[in-house]
Amino acid sequence: MCLIEFQHVTKKFSEQFVLNNFSFKINEGDKVQISGRSGLGKTTLFRLLLGFEKADSGNILFNNNNLEDKSFWEFRKSVVYISQDLNIGYGKVRNFFTETLFLKSNLHIKSKALAMLDNYLDFFEIPVSFLDKNIEELSGGEKQRIAIINALLLERKIFLLDEISSSLDNSLKIKTIDFFLTKPDFTVLYISHDKYLPKGFDIRTIKFDVL
Amino acid sequence: MNGAPDLTLFSMFMSGLLLLIPLFLVWYFKMGLFNSLLISTFRMAIQLFMIGFFLEYLFKYNHFIINVLWFTLMITVAVFSVIKNSNLNIKHFFLPVFVSFALANFFVVLYFNTFIVQLDYIFEAKYIIAIGGMLLGNSLRANVVGLGDFYKSIHKEENLYFYKLALGANKFEALLPFAKKSFVAAINPTLASMATMGIVSLPGMMTGQILGGSVPLVAIKYQIAIMIAILASTVLSIGISIVLTVKYSFEKSGVMKKNIVK
Repeated sequence: MCLIEFQHVTKKFSEQFVLNNFSFKINEGDKVQISGRSGLGKTTLFRLLLGFEKADSGNILFNNNNLEDKSFWEFRKSVVYISQDLNIGYGKVRNFFTETLFLKSNLHIKSKALAMLDNYLDFFEIPVSFLDKNIEELSGGEKQRIAIINALLLERKIFLLDEISSSLDNSLKIKTIDFFLTKPDFTVLYISHDKYLPKGFDIRTIKFDVL
Repeated sequence: MNGAPDLTLFSMFMSGLLLLIPLFLVWYFKMGLFNSLLISTFRMAIQLFMIGFFLEYLFKYNHFIINVLWFTLMITVAVFSVIKNSNLNIKHFFLPVFVSFALANFFVVLYFNTFIVQLDYIFEAKYIIAIGGMLLGNSLRANVVGLGDFYKSIHKEENLYFYKLALGANKFEALLPFAKKSFVAAINPTLASMATMGIVSLPGMMTGQILGGSVPLVAIKYQIAIMIAILASTVLSIGISIVLTVKYSFEKSGVMKKNIVK
C-alpha cells in the first residue's frame, strides 16, 4: 500500500532548486536511504513532509490524502522524526521522556511505553543512572541515543531519521541501523552517508547528486 | 496634608546651573554628547511643562470620559513603544498587545482604586493617571523583555520547537516551555527590585509621598500595595499578550510566520 507519495514537488531557496519536479512513492514497510552531496535537499524532504517548509509546487500525499495545513498535525502524530540537530531539550533525561509521554496525543501509550523504557536503555547501552543526568551533560552520541529511545517509546511505525548514527561508534552504528532496517513493519526514510547496509534486506535509495 | 513647597524661578535657575557639570565634562572630554544632552534636557523640560499644564486641567475637570481617553492614549503610546523596542512586527502585534494592556491595566488600576484606596469616585484623574502610569510603565518594560524573548527564542530554537511538534505536541504544548522562560525573564527585574526595596533606594512613589507630606508609615503602605499591583498587572499583561499574539503569529501548520521577528 502506498503510504507517502511526492508528486512533482519543487522547492527553491533564493532561486536555487533544492527539489525540482521530484516524484517518489513510498510503500508501507519500505526502507529508503536518502544520500548524496550535503546541502539543503535531504533534510528539506523531511521538513516538507512534516509541514515545516512549504513546497513551491506539487503535492505530498499521506495515505492518499493531500498533506496541508491541518493534516500535518495528524501526520506528525503518525511518524517519528529524529533530527540531526541535537538540541532536544533541557533538564533531566527522565523528565525528557515523561514530557514526551505526557503530551496529550501520547497519553494513551504512556504506561506501556514506560514499561519498555528499561529494555530500550539496555539495548542502546545507556545506563539507567543516566535518567538522573541533565541532557546538557551528555555527549553527542548519548544525546543521539536518548533521542532514538524517545522516538521508539511512541510505538509509531513510520520513521524519518536524519543522520541519527553520525556520532555513534561503529558497533552501535551497525546495531542501530540493523534495528531500524530489519523490522518488516517499520517504514523508514533515513538520511545517511553510511556505506553499511544489513545483508539480505531490500533498501531503496534516493540520491541527491543530480541536483 | 501640606504639599512640597513650590519651586521658585530662582530654584529652577539653580537646578539649571547644576547642568553645567555634565555639560562641562562632556565638552572637555569631547564625548560628542554636548548637543544631545542639551536637546534631551530641553525636550524634557518642554514636555513636562506641557503635561503639567494639561494635568492641571485634567485634574480640575476630572471628567470620566477625558480620564479614560487620556489613559487609553497612554496605553497606545506604551504599546507602540513595546513593539518598537522588542523588534516585532507592528502590523501583527498592535491590536493584541493593545487589548492585553488595556485589560490588564484598567482592571488592576480600577481594582486598586475600588478596593485598596476605596475611592468614592474610582475614575479619579489623579489615581487613574498616576497609579495607572506606574502600572503601565512596568507592563511596558516587562513586555519588551517577555514578548521579545518569547518570539526570538522560538525563532532561534526553531528546531527544538519543531522537534516538539514532531513528537505529537499541539501548539500549546510546544509553546509552553518558551512561554514559561519568557515569563520568568519578564518578571525577574520586578522581583529583584522588590527584594531590595527600601534598602538600595527609596522608590519614587514613596519619595513623592514623603515630600508631599505623608508620614513614612502611610507611604510604605501605598508602596507595598503598588508593588503588588505592579506584579499583578505585569503578569496579566505579559500572559494575555502572549496568548493573543500567538493567534496571529503562526501558520495553520504550526510554523511561525516569516515576518514576525524583524
